[in-house]
Amino acid sequence: MPSVAGGIAAVAVALAIYAGSRGLRYFDAALVGYATATVFLAFGVTYRYAVWVSAPAARRYLLRGWQAFFSWRNFRSLPTAVPRSVLGYLGFQTFLRARGRGRWIAHQLVFWGVVLATLITFPLTFGWLAFFSDTASGPGYTIYVLGFRTVSFDALSLVGWMVFHGLDIAAVLVLAGCGWFLWRRFRHREATTGQRFGYDFFPLIGLVAISVTGLLLTFSSWLLEGRSYDFLAIAHMATVVLTLVFIPFGKFFHVIQRPASVGVEIYKRAALERDGVFPCRRCGEPLEAKAFVSDLKQTMDELELGFSEWAETCPRCKRVLRGQAYLDTVKRGFR
Amino acid sequence: MSDISYPVVAPGVGDFRGAGGAEPAAQWKATAAGERLVPTHCSFCGVQCGMYLRVMDGRVIGVEPRNHDINKLRLCPKGVVAYQQVHHPDRLLSPLMRDTRDGPLHLVSWEAALERIVSEIRRIQSTYGRDAFGVLGGASMTTEKTYLMGKFARVALRTRHIDYNGRLCMVSAAAANKKAFGIDRAGNPWADLLETEMIIVAGTNIAECFPVAMQYFWGARDRGAKLVVVDPRETAMARTADEHVALRPGTDAAFYNGMLHVIARDGLTDERFIAEHTVGWEAVRDTVAAYTPERVGEICGLDPRQIERVAHLWGRARRCWAAHGRGLEQHLQGVENVLSCINVTLATGQIGRPGAGYGTLTGQGNGQGGREHGQKSDMLPGGRDLSNPEHRAYVAGVWGVEEADLPPKGTSMHEMVRQMADGEIRGLLGMCNNPFVSLPNQAVVRAGYDALEFHVQSDFFLSETAARADVVLPSTVWAEDEGLTTNGEGRVVKHNKAVEPPGEARTDWEILCELARRLGSGDKFPFTRPVEILDELRVASKGGLADYYGITYEKVEATGGVFWPCPTLDHPGTPRPFEGGRFYHPDGKARFVAVEWRPPAEPPDEAFPLRLTTGRTVAHFLSGNQTRRLPGLVEQTPRPWVEVHPSLGFADGDPVRVVTRRGAVTYPALVTEAIRPDTVFVPYHWAGAIAANVLTIDALDPISKMPEFKVCACRVERGQAVDPVPEPPMPPGEHPYRPETTPLGDPRSPTSPQGRGTAES
Amino acid sequence: MMGTTLFIDPGRCIGCQACVAACRECDSHRGKSMIHLDYIDAGRTAAAMPTVCMHCEDPVAPCAEVCPADAILVTADGVVQEAAKERCIGCGNCVDACPFGVPKLDVAEMLQYKCNLCYDRTSVGLAPMCATVCPTSAIFYGSIEELEADRPGAQAIDVFRFGSAEVRTGCAVVAPDSFTGPAPGGM
Repeated sequence: MPSVAGGIAAVAVALAIYAGSRGLRYFDAALVGYATATVFLAFGVTYRYAVWVSAPAARRYLLRGWQAFFSWRNFRSLPTAVPRSVLGYLGFQTFLRARGRGRWIAHQLVFWGVVLATLITFPLTFGWLAFFSDTASGPGYTIYVLGFRTVSFDALSLVGWMVFHGLDIAAVLVLAGCGWFLWRRFRHREATTGQRFGYDFFPLIGLVAISVTGLLLTFSSWLLEGRSYDFLAIAHMATVVLTLVFIPFGKFFHVIQRPASVGVEIYKRAALERDGVFPCRRCGEPLEAKAFVSDLKQTMDELELGFSEWAETCPRCKRVLRGQAYLDTVKRGFR
Repeated sequence: MSDISYPVVAPGVGDFRGAGGAEPAAQWKATAAGERLVPTHCSFCGVQCGMYLRVMDGRVIGVEPRNHDINKLRLCPKGVVAYQQVHHPDRLLSPLMRDTRDGPLHLVSWEAALERIVSEIRRIQSTYGRDAFGVLGGASMTTEKTYLMGKFARVALRTRHIDYNGRLCMVSAAAANKKAFGIDRAGNPWADLLETEMIIVAGTNIAECFPVAMQYFWGARDRGAKLVVVDPRETAMARTADEHVALRPGTDAAFYNGMLHVIARDGLTDERFIAEHTVGWEAVRDTVAAYTPERVGEICGLDPRQIERVAHLWGRARRCWAAHGRGLEQHLQGVENVLSCINVTLATGQIGRPGAGYGTLTGQGNGQGGREHGQKSDMLPGGRDLSNPEHRAYVAGVWGVEEADLPPKGTSMHEMVRQMADGEIRGLLGMCNNPFVSLPNQAVVRAGYDALEFHVQSDFFLSETAARADVVLPSTVWAEDEGLTTNGEGRVVKHNKAVEPPGEARTDWEILCELARRLGSGDKFPFTRPVEILDELRVASKGGLADYYGITYEKVEATGGVFWPCPTLDHPGTPRPFEGGRFYHPDGKARFVAVEWRPPAEPPDEAFPLRLTTGRTVAHFLSGNQTRRLPGLVEQTPRPWVEVHPSLGFADGDPVRVVTRRGAVTYPALVTEAIRPDTVFVPYHWAGAIAANVLTIDALDPISKMPEFKVCACRVERGQAVDPVPEPPMPPGEHPYRPETTPLGDPRSPTSPQGRGTAES
Repeated sequence: MMGTTLFIDPGRCIGCQACVAACRECDSHRGKSMIHLDYIDAGRTAAAMPTVCMHCEDPVAPCAEVCPADAILVTADGVVQEAAKERCIGCGNCVDACPFGVPKLDVAEMLQYKCNLCYDRTSVGLAPMCATVCPTSAIFYGSIEELEADRPGAQAIDVFRFGSAEVRTGCAVVAPDSFTGPAPGGM
């Protein structure tokens, strides 16, 4: 089943490339490696995603998330919930600030760098985005999106410079962020505890390699009159392709996974608003939203954990009850 | 120390923990580059647990357990966070001074501060006499510093008025030990406990005051020992004891006499030991004859059968151990209480053998070393007597002064406070103490200090007492100096220096040497390193009871610590001073001292029907100056409370006003069945209007001059609102460090005497 | 089966919270304690009990099973790790599903925290910080043989009963020899 989903996704991306580039008319043949990697990426990500959401807890939350997302009632009672979640949670990642200011800033740098690069490169690779000069040698350029003519600009203007150097800017942002993360991986005891090369270092190395080879491309065309350009282009492509293919299997999968939790956020908030809080069976202190508790119990039952009723008791009371049971039935004193 | 036969491995320590020696386990790879581990011991209690300080770039960044012979890697919650004192934002970094007695404190240079101190000392001593300037020390300092305190007072100031805060802590036990054994030292190392069959622990909440010592008691129980705990509260240790003797506060001597009555009546005494090794049994036997279980049960509020049971447990076991703490000692008859306990051990010969032991549990880190070398009002180094001409002559010789120039013995700490109020003492130098919290009857203490013309105090945080001083000198924490301490067993260990002092802070010994120089006695205080002080101390103690001559830094570091007396460089130390029934009176015999129980200074009456007792909680230490600023400890126990029995009709958290003849404080109630209905308990670590010493009585034991902290009459009534916790004092314009997680003024009581559970924010 | 692991004995616990203080010192979560210390008999006695992660083996880590983000890794040695920072979405499923009440949530960080058997120490053969400092060995780290050698008359139980369900764990609780059956889970 996940393989079928993956296959469908791969075919869909291939078709979209074909259609979006108007039958490959706007497709840049030099980028064929990237395009192929993307098709594989689509397969891998979808496969992995399908495996992920087939587990009871993830499936239930995916369902609840989309229900909450499309709920007219939620929209009326919490009209700003979705955009605020997307912006604050996915965009500015305020929860990371609580985990540490340095971590937050570094992650924001990497995040916006990657977003910028993605917005430029994927459409460019697919031929969805193309630049044609108005005259033979510039400086006037026109941007074509999905084959439609959009704006024209002067390549020598500031805007023009930024458009042509968008990827360089992205690379600098990513390098700055990765630099902090790497420093932390070497020096900070919090990070060095239990870190794994494949899981923790490889993604950072991938990002750094992509950024460095990309910047070298610019350096080559700018100062070396294009020397080594072809080699650098292949090296850059290799780093990108490797990193893309890695996405479904390592740390980067959180990029795919994380947006789903926006739905969970909204679901929990809406559920709390709708039918209130579940009080702990023992102490009566608020535990969680009622719907959350019943959903968790269902999940636990599906997993055949035979103690789903226990989820209605707060963690502290669970511990105290276990302790009292120990005193009452195992031993009261030292022996 | 090859001739020591006691087991050195405590229960729970197998090879998997394989740490030891100078470095922790070899596989510990988490030590990042640039980090080093400094072996040292804890800054807090008399257990003196070994620990490593993790030091990087000149900063102490954490702690790592150390497999020292005392604690086998274990630490208590205070020990774990002790290092947080070092770079604490509240540290005093430069001297403070006020220009008039009631003016504000302001920053001042060392030069100006020292100048002022010296001129005030000169003025006061020339106007009112030498004895008008007093010195108060403390037993949390290294032995080198405590030695120097005494020498400073007697040589540089030549005042008779010097005493120290051990007066609140160990003096009753010390005086009783001296009377009974001729020496003031614990009878056995704690490792001997593992071989005992029966333990009686009286008036000490070991689980909270000396948590790491618990391993020895639990280890003994694992091996089958019975445990009896004597305490009006059912402490964590008493909870699981074979017998919890919940007597009324202030009736300990009656209890022990009752125990001895049963032992003697049933022929369970060790007649051979009594005949060969003791003097005075007949008088004690005749005295305890009147303490029938019925009568004792009446006095103590106990079931007479329990007294019989405990006496039989003790009398029939082959190896018994008696330990006690402040609960026995801080009484009007504290010395006699201790003697009544010693009588039991002597009558049954339960001392000086592996598994047969006796000892008090010293409160302060250097409680033992701090009282041996001359900062006590009547003592000279080496446990020598200030009234003994031979002792005086010897020490005067070491110091290079005339014997006649040594002042006579002075008065005790609380008596000195009264002398301040009377104008007999006009100036005071205080180091390593905080009497505004630690002495009883706060109003009297404040009146004494208020009446001073000049007061200089040194500390590393601005204590409540320092905040009242005319000059405050910034001193160092333990990790910024090296030196010896002696733990409750009599084992000498070494603190090592991990980092340089911050700002302008100086060690107390440097301050004393500099003051001495400016007072014209510089030649007697030429010290530039602690080891130089130790070398003089070793000579000064040579031949005395507390003989440290054979103790050097090298020897201490190469072993798990050296037990004094240690008279020669090749001597292995004396873990069991009473081995073979040998005692330190001239005839080598121990003394029985007959004790009659007497009621406390303030027995309950109609107006004040309950007994108030005070004590410690595990997250805080003594006057709290060191622990009330450490976030984790404040989180665990943010405030004091009053512990009351449910029969008094309060609910948990109710504001309860505790009233004594001296004052009243409103605490939140911690309602628990684990305390006698006729007794209430208040922990004493907090200052100001919520301090326990607003309530406590300043009655003193006539022999040891130790205040009766453990019992006075009180009543409880429903209060309006609980009294808030005051902020710790800070220099003008500064605010104490307090992270969001540890809010101040939480009005709730903790869930249990040990604090608040982790899930109860 | 039980190898070198943690054994909890509430009968020895004095409630001092040295374990809590020590846990806060871990470099991977400075200032936050993963261990719980509860006063389980408040109002009557000073009894206390520490709670570490029991590292459930059967069923394997309910917390990981109910995690919608695959954030909780169980390493090959049976150690149930804390939530991976980049995956955890802070939903709280693990907090309420855990039968022992172990995981906790930092709401602002949207992150779960739980005891990971001091993986930085145990993975190199050192005892966890809590067991290292525990003054009473109420938290003991070692093998069952070492435990039994130290404490005659004691046994370790690694099965807990919750209603009709049983959970077998990687860590164990100490009971007298005379005790039979699974340890009570309190449910």
